Amino acid sequence: MNLAQVEKSTWVYVAISFLLFVVPFIATGRSVQFLIIQIFVFGIFAMSYDLLLGYTGIISFGHVMFFGVGAYSTAVLFDRFDPTMLTFALAIIISGVIAGIVSLIVGVLTLRLKSHFYAMLTLALAGLFLVGAEKWRKLTGGSDGFTFGLPDILRDSFALYIVSALSLVLIFFGLRRMTKSPFGKVLVAIRENESRTESLGYQVLHYKVIVSVVSGIVASYSGVLYILSLRFVDTSVFATDLTIDVLLMTIIGGVGTLIGPIIGASLIEFAHHWLSDLSDVHWIFERWIILYGTIFILIVVFFPKGIVGTLVDRFYKWRARRT
Amino acid sequence: MDVLFSLAINGLATGMLIFLLAAGLTLIFGLMDVLNFAHGGLFIWGAYTGVWTYQMTGSFLGGIVTAIGVGLLLGLVTERFIVRPVYGSHVQQILITLGFMLVLQECIKVVFGPDQKIVSPPSYLEGSFIIGEIVFINYRLFIIAVGFLIYFAFYYLFKKTRVGLIVRAGVMNKEMIQSLGVNIKLVFLLVFMVGAALAALSGMLHAAYSGVIYAEMGLEFSILAFIVVVIGGMGNFKGSLLAAILVGLTQAFMAYYVPALSLATNMLLMAIVLVFRPQGLFALR
Amino acid sequence: MSSFLEVSHVRANIEQYHILHDISFHVPKGEVTVLLGRNGAGKTTTLRSIMGLTPVIAGEITFKGEKIRNQKPHLIANRGIGYVPEDQGIFHDLTVGENMRVAMKKENEETKERMDWILDLFPDLKKFWNKPGGQLSGGQKQMLAISRAYVNDNELLLIDEPSKGLAPIVVEKVMDSIHQMKERTTILLVEQNFMMASGIGDRFYIIDDGQTVQQGQMNELKQDGVLLQKYLGIS
Repeated sequence: MNLAQVEKSTWVYVAISFLLFVVPFIATGRSVQFLIIQIFVFGIFAMSYDLLLGYTGIISFGHVMFFGVGAYSTAVLFDRFDPTMLTFALAIIISGVIAGIVSLIVGVLTLRLKSHFYAMLTLALAGLFLVGAEKWRKLTGGSDGFTFGLPDILRDSFALYIVSALSLVLIFFGLRRMTKSPFGKVLVAIRENESRTESLGYQVLHYKVIVSVVSGIVASYSGVLYILSLRFVDTSVFATDLTIDVLLMTIIGGVGTLIGPIIGASLIEFAHHWLSDLSDVHWIFERWIILYGTIFILIVVFFPKGIVGTLVDRFYKWRARRT
Repeated sequence: MDVLFSLAINGLATGMLIFLLAAGLTLIFGLMDVLNFAHGGLFIWGAYTGVWTYQMTGSFLGGIVTAIGVGLLLGLVTERFIVRPVYGSHVQQILITLGFMLVLQECIKVVFGPDQKIVSPPSYLEGSFIIGEIVFINYRLFIIAVGFLIYFAFYYLFKKTRVGLIVRAGVMNKEMIQSLGVNIKLVFLLVFMVGAALAALSGMLHAAYSGVIYAEMGLEFSILAFIVVVIGGMGNFKGSLLAAILVGLTQAFMAYYVPALSLATNMLLMAIVLVFRPQGLFALR
Repeated sequence: MSSFLEVSHVRANIEQYHILHDISFHVPKGEVTVLLGRNGAGKTTTLRSIMGLTPVIAGEITFKGEKIRNQKPHLIANRGIGYVPEDQGIFHDLTVGENMRVAMKKENEETKERMDWILDLFPDLKKFWNKPGGQLSGGQKQMLAISRAYVNDNELLLIDEPSKGLAPIVVEKVMDSIHQMKERTTILLVEQNFMMASGIGDRFYIIDDGQTVQQGQMNELKQDGVLLQKYLGIS
């Protein structure tokens, strides 16, 4: 690979990635590290969502089901088998396979129809997963949930931090590569004008299904990481609220940018943890959703590219004016 | 036999409430091709403001009037400021109305507090009577009556009046109806407001039916309304009545006979419809 | 001279494409004016621009001396312009009667008289009064569309290719009825079928590539073989 050909932005991302690994030496507090891990987890989850919404223009209302599949597969495996790294690897594979199969089926069934059908079917399936998790008590413990043991190495929040940071960085670069490839260009073409892409001879359905499968697998992986950081699972990993959170993250951060969803994830997680704490100061902070919901609406209407997309546009305009 | 009968009445009453909720949604979709996920927000605002008036004044009718008024007003706001900027793009509509839904739901907590509220029907609609071995609960019969009344009122409106014909014609060909001198935007706005008022009315009636209201019902009922509209066929008014009754009855019977599955009933119904008949169970084409 | 309908130097785009470059013509009251031209020349878009359905970028359109350019379609329609689009715009699930009723802004003696008159002209419509519009034949749809545009006290009718896709015998019938309507209203007709148009038109304009390139009296055009060959491909 010729280094001179690498885009400037790639170097920026590489530098930021290295910084991520320095952070845990500075921020040593468990709760801070936990918060950052959550941001990483939801960053990955939101990136997987961005692949659907931002790059291909598909809305899912049940993306949480993949997240939950990852979470439950991991928890159940660690509950049933010895907590070793082998089990961890098995959890990643099994959850990925389940998520892949589910997203393949959903995709084949509804992606040929209008956008809202995919949204509604994913919503329905996520609802069924939630009910399933509540009713299959032997496996899931129902709504009470259960705790489980982890391999010693993953109990350490520093190690978990490194694992999540590494995952985030690798997935980010992997997806970035994918979206910049010819395959990714076709996805954007589908988002911009589906029928025209179809008439150019692309099998739009194939592309959409592949994307939904990749997205599902990545989402399930974020569920795996999430549950490792909690060491406890209950039905909340299938809650519609999570899908809405990830939607907010993606839109506010900036659709179709990958980095945007990560920033969106930081903002939302921040709001979850700190604005809710502020409710002692004034009760309005408990209702931070109003603020984010309003921002969300304004962004959809006025800045459809979100924070990152809008900033990037401004930057290019500014640079174009200077030259 | 008597069990079957009371289950049927139960399901029918629930179905009618769902119909009132879904009717507005399907009208708005059929006429304007708008997917409105804020519909459940209008439902809870109708419920909370109606119940507030009802409990303040003691007048149930006053509560209903308030709910309808609030529904009309919120419909106006939603169409004007939320939906109008995003006509034509389903993806944007889904996103923005969902965002508005969240705001509406949180605002309920700000205005009325985050705790659930207990409601009961007015004394003259409470109680029950028995014919043979079957118990009739007055409030349920009242809801069924209101549901049918509204269905037939709209049926008459669409079939017999010029306004109704204009709405139907607008669904079929927007440009032509304008070329005949009709201000279609105004018609859209009115339909949206009426749809919102129906949702708000449904919320108010539902409050006294279930006995308790809470803010999160907003999202739940947005989703429920969509499930019904999908089952009945998007934009199909009669379909949404049949689908609502189907959903109500299935819920009632499943809750009695297969309680383990009752939570999943709606989702299962919709998944089956989406997979096998995505145009809706009662679609003509 | 301010004529009845005056279109001057109109330009219009659809998406990024220029469809109309420079369209100018006027329609005198009480006459039938025909816009001729090849497929894709911009005839339909011209009518749509008059109705306010396609936005106009430059130029002016006046009706009875008032500017109507880019007004909302329903306001233009309410000034007394009736429109029969290329696809007829029938409301398929509404019956013939309901289609007519949607169009009638008022129901008084005058509209009743117009209704009776047009139904005498098209007895088929009376026969299929309760049949859904979607089940009519092509010719019947055309008759319904024309009646619908006529039934209000419209002073000007814009009719887009009434002969399109109809059997010759039906075309004759439709044209014959337009001929009769001429006594009662002004008509701007778009037509590809020259033989047909020449029978009822008073004045003509030829549109080519989004521009009005020729104009004159219809009976002059019939003699002008060169012009017909050049723009209409008739020899």
